[in-house]
Amino acid sequence: MPMNKKDSKYFHAIQIIEENCTGCTACVRVCPTEAIRVRSRMASIDPNRCVDCGNCVSVCEFHAIIPSSDSLESIKRFKYKIAIISSSFFGQFSEDITYANAKQAVLQLGFDEVAEEAMITDFMINIIRQYIRENRDKRPILSSNCPAVVRLIQVKYPSLLANLFHREAPMSILTRYFREKISREQDFEDNEIGIFVIVPCVAHVTAVHQPEGAYKHLQDGAFSSGMIYGKVREIIKNVQNNPMPMDTYPQGLTWALSGVQAELVDTDDIRALSVNGVDNVMDILSRVEDHYLDQYDYIVLRSCTNGCVGGCLNVENPFVAMSRIKKMTKEGKSSEIQLHELEELHAQGEFSVSPLAPRPIMELDKDIKKAIKKMKKINEFLTMLPGLNCSACGSPSCYALAEDIVMGQATIDDCIILRRRCPDSDQD
Amino acid sequence: MIMQDYWYIREGFEQRIKEYLALAPVVEVDLEFEVMEKDFNSAGKGSSETKNLLKRLGVESDILRRVAVSAYEAEINMAAHSRGGKMISEVYDDHIHVRFEDIGPGIENIDQAMVPGYSTADELVRELGFGAGLGLPNIKKNCDAMHIRSAKDSPTLLEFIIYFG
Repeated sequence: MPMNKKDSKYFHAIQIIEENCTGCTACVRVCPTEAIRVRSRMASIDPNRCVDCGNCVSVCEFHAIIPSSDSLESIKRFKYKIAIISSSFFGQFSEDITYANAKQAVLQLGFDEVAEEAMITDFMINIIRQYIRENRDKRPILSSNCPAVVRLIQVKYPSLLANLFHREAPMSILTRYFREKISREQDFEDNEIGIFVIVPCVAHVTAVHQPEGAYKHLQDGAFSSGMIYGKVREIIKNVQNNPMPMDTYPQGLTWALSGVQAELVDTDDIRALSVNGVDNVMDILSRVEDHYLDQYDYIVLRSCTNGCVGGCLNVENPFVAMSRIKKMTKEGKSSEIQLHELEELHAQGEFSVSPLAPRPIMELDKDIKKAIKKMKKINEFLTMLPGLNCSACGSPSCYALAEDIVMGQATIDDCIILRRRCPDSDQD
Repeated sequence: MIMQDYWYIREGFEQRIKEYLALAPVVEVDLEFEVMEKDFNSAGKGSSETKNLLKRLGVESDILRRVAVSAYEAEINMAAHSRGGKMISEVYDDHIHVRFEDIGPGIENIDQAMVPGYSTADELVRELGFGAGLGLPNIKKNCDAMHIRSAKDSPTLLEFIIYFG
């Protein structure tokens, strides 16, 4: 399943289908960490740089970069099967399919129990506020729910790792809660309970298979929101004709919308900012590094447009999905839910995550003198290159090609424009 | 017209600065940016790229921040108060030297400009949220050495040096 090169320790839920790749370089140009190169008309991804944002998956027109996620079959390995649904999922359906319908349909796909991220949004808001108040020395606190943002900080802004909200994300908190509860109440061994999440993006699939900072075994698999959407649509008529009573938590669905989440955390003594879209996230992180955003106590950062509704495994446009979720939040009424068990677990420190480690990619060399020499060579090559940033060489920009040349991963002959301008170089 | 020279050198750095200025080594890596009058959208690009360059060289994050803050303040100053100019970042293996050279109209009284809260920013600049009078003091706070040379109706040179450790 993973695209990993053998030499990397990092898992990624993105696969390159070599026979489909035309070498068009569309993916090269949208990668925020410049992780992709096309060489010999074939794209490859550097697993050390990839943060699983999914931009390349969304932009590829040839189905050559495809997301990986688990197959629904994998639930059969377990005796007791739980699905945890991410909030954006309910925004995918047309308005005749209600939250309760969709939830019931997921249950009928073969699960013993279905839970939603939305169940504990209020609980999350409370623990976020508490965390901010207990960590006033670190300003601002950065949200850690988006795995692509966490990995982006690890690779490009490692000085900000200490600012991340060091608590599990809601779906992982629910996982802990259910594992504990089911093994206590129903006499199943831990390895007989299968907990699966239905997720909007590849970063969440990666996070399930290679969680950052997790102290314990979490989920057993991640299903694509789009795949489950298709299966739900197949049985939805039957569900609508035979509805069962379902608990729903429409007010909690706001977790899928970065802007609303910030508004919920914002209060008298906490000023919150919301940012979404990976380019905006990078701009903001760069300013946070320079302490230009110290006036904020909390920043909600989501790699996708509008938050998780923009995930590349979703089927609906992020603005339409957002509008539907807002409508459900406004018109629906959440079921009662008892959270004191969660509060107890939280008080025991059960939801803490270990300090996150950097994955630095930025340094040219460990020795600054050698790094300067390399930079000087990069600049020399840069003056020779045409400056069109056309990506036709397979590197994202002329600068990146210059760097690839100095790092021994390309040659100046890879520049098609230069070869056209001085055809002599073709002869050797 | 009185040419003024303002110098600040952080305590303990006097000898290093003196030697560096006397030696005037050849720069290994440099970056140059144009800064245009009242162009607050582009101002900040130079400091951001300078920071990225230092990241690539493995300079530690606290130093990065001091460079980025100083360079950003100076860029904004140039956009707000001058008729435009250029920013030049020169990187050596133990420090960075950033120069800002504008085409006027010059600083009438540098000592006054160094007082926190003092500002000659016009209405437009203030409307845009700049001009709090903290630019130059903020640079001074973050750098290891700073030099300003200016006079009324003349170009201004502002330069600062930050060591990597």
